Amino acid sequence: MLEPVELNNIMIAVIAGAMVVLLGALYAFTFAMGKMNKKRWLIGVSYTVFAGLAISVFTLAQSLNLNGYWQLVTYTMLLGYLLAPQAIWKLSVGTHRASD
Amino acid sequence: MNSVWWASEDFWRKMAVWLTAVMTVVLILLTFDTVKQITAGSERVPAYSAINHRIYYRFDSSRNMQVPVIGDSAPLFGTSLSEEDAEALVSKGKLTTQAKNCMNCHTLLGNGAYYAPDLTKAWLDPAWGSEAAREQLMVNFLLDPHTNARGYGTGRKMPNLGITEEEAHGVVAFLKWMSTIDTNGFPRNFTPISQEGDR
Amino acid sequence: MNAGIQESSNLTGGQKLAVKYYTVAVVLFVAQILFGLLSGLKYLQPDFLYEVLDFNVTRMVHINAMIVWMLFGFMGAIYWLVEEESETELVGLKLGNLAFWVLTSAVTVVVLVYLFVQVGPAEMSTIWFIGEGREYIEAPRWADIGIVICLLVFMYNIAATFMKGKWSGISGVLVLDLVALAGLYVAGMYYTPNISMDQYWWWWVVHLWVEATWEVLVGCIMAWGLIKTLGANRKIVTTWLYIEVALMLGAGILGLGHHYFWIGTPEYWLGIGGFFSALEPVPLVAMVVHAVYDSGVHGSKNSNHPALAWLIAHAFGNFFGGGVWGFMHTLPQINLYTHGTQWTTSHGHLAFFGAYATINIAMFYIALQRWRGNVYMSAGLPGNGWKWKWALSLLCTGVVGMTMALLVSGYEQAFVERALGGSTWAAYFEAQRGTWYVQGMYWRQIFGYVTAAGLVLLIWDLLTIGLREKRSMVVPTDHVVVTA
Repeated sequence: MLEPVELNNIMIAVIAGAMVVLLGALYAFTFAMGKMNKKRWLIGVSYTVFAGLAISVFTLAQSLNLNGYWQLVTYTMLLGYLLAPQAIWKLSVGTHRASD
Repeated sequence: MNSVWWASEDFWRKMAVWLTAVMTVVLILLTFDTVKQITAGSERVPAYSAINHRIYYRFDSSRNMQVPVIGDSAPLFGTSLSEEDAEALVSKGKLTTQAKNCMNCHTLLGNGAYYAPDLTKAWLDPAWGSEAAREQLMVNFLLDPHTNARGYGTGRKMPNLGITEEEAHGVVAFLKWMSTIDTNGFPRNFTPISQEGDR
Repeated sequence: MNAGIQESSNLTGGQKLAVKYYTVAVVLFVAQILFGLLSGLKYLQPDFLYEVLDFNVTRMVHINAMIVWMLFGFMGAIYWLVEEESETELVGLKLGNLAFWVLTSAVTVVVLVYLFVQVGPAEMSTIWFIGEGREYIEAPRWADIGIVICLLVFMYNIAATFMKGKWSGISGVLVLDLVALAGLYVAGMYYTPNISMDQYWWWWVVHLWVEATWEVLVGCIMAWGLIKTLGANRKIVTTWLYIEVALMLGAGILGLGHHYFWIGTPEYWLGIGGFFSALEPVPLVAMVVHAVYDSGVHGSKNSNHPALAWLIAHAFGNFFGGGVWGFMHTLPQINLYTHGTQWTTSHGHLAFFGAYATINIAMFYIALQRWRGNVYMSAGLPGNGWKWKWALSLLCTGVVGMTMALLVSGYEQAFVERALGGSTWAAYFEAQRGTWYVQGMYWRQIFGYVTAAGLVLLIWDLLTIGLREKRSMVVPTDHVVVTA
């Protein structure tokens, strides 16, 4: 069942939605930079950014009333944003090594 | 160095092909079901003869949305039509909306352009004032949008598109029929015109 | 090879054909912007050209010119790359030229009919000869058939050339994608009185073209562009093309579901569309990692600064337009209010520009470099390359400005008309009169003029860049220049 966003939550939902994607990119960027330059502290920063992303996802989920089935969307999103950049890093290393 | 299988060109070629194929098959299977459910005469998309009846909205609390209800007999322009004639009239109206390029100002089911109001629930819009006058007002407007312009102070008005009387009747039928489609509650909180027997 | 002049002898047959496609693409780009300005102006001056050129006509030309110029750009890019990629001459150059002229004449006739006939009676003859009145695919049926035939000729030409010469991973993806491109268009040639059914198939064309087959086309062109301008390793680029296709189509095909929320289609589409739309930005975000990796590993010299700058604009534009702007309003819980408002316009402007206009412009520069004799196009162009830099800045500022302005209008519209007013006509007009809405429309128009200024400068630059250049192109690292 769909429970549309409350009037007062529209602005929050919009900002949270934008933050999810923006922080997703920032997490990916800091993670990749950390790996690239072998800087452990940058990896630490990337996980802090991810914590911000997680907060945004939960804020979004709350403001959009994502309950029932929609929780699956929430958690898939979290998992996807967490793991996809790591997978792509591994793939980057793997594909470039393969051709060297 | 040796390449790992999960980073090889070959593996990802297969992945690309398989993922695309699987998603396409899923889409095709869903299409079979959806097409069945949106064929006119189904529960979600009623038969064209629905224009012979009064159209209501009822809040369905289990779905948490307004759903259209086909009520008592209320023939359009005073004539009850057979399914065949109703389809012909609705089709005339749909063809008119395409021939006059309505969709590049208005939205239908929310799709189109945003220069003029959405037409999904035009039939039930409170702007028509009274249920009794509505049909004729709609026809008058389509035939002569200049005199009957309603821009609500925006200065926007519909151009005269050379719509004939027959086409205008078709458009009204098409709009009435479109208002019977179950749109999953879109648009939300819509307040319909008050009609006889309103509950 | 003649340096510094517009010398067609520098080009192969396919490349000469590509230049023709590019020329028409730029002309249509101008039409797109011109009719966009006219349409925007009508929000501010509703009486302007009332009953001469009404909004439904100007807006139709605006969006159709966009679709067609981008398509012409893609076709040009593919003709540009096919011979180098297959290492042989184009199989049907005459046929390709014929198809080009047929397609261009058809487009001209269609636009003239749009402008001077505009609408017709409610008969099938209108659908066949004037217009179909369905957003984005308004072209009359005769033109639809012509478009499909020209696409098939195009596909034959490309596939046969690869067959005669050499296949590669990129060309394999490209040809399969062209099959889908031509095939999907057929889903749009269909009349039914049932508006739900109509829109169901209409989205097959619109979404699966724009968010699936076009993206793959761009992936192929980008892959080739990376090899050309950065000297990237072919095997790696090909593998990443496959990865991208897997991710894009994996999420994009069922992402179609986000158009099936409110058109009468069953409720399960809310769940499917919501799920896949929530995942659609993930690959976009993850690709940031690959970009970082690549720039760190290569750091190679590049031979074409304007093209590279436009490719970077593409990466950002696609991320913000498709990713951020798309996701902000894609879940049905909020889309219920934003669907069919200026919100959609805001997203549309940035997404189309970021994903497709930018990449086409990058390809124009790559082509020009060769056309003018493999001239130098790196740092330190005459006048410090001010024309291309200002063109880029103005176009990006213009489009981003329009996007922001439309977002403000869209927000007010969604709030006042939809959420508060329950979407009646009175509520619609109340939102249209709202201060924020009107302000947004003024700013959109101003940034529209900025965009137009950028386009003028871009054309000036395209016509002049490299004309008096004496230096030769910087050869990108580990890249072998194929000379015809």
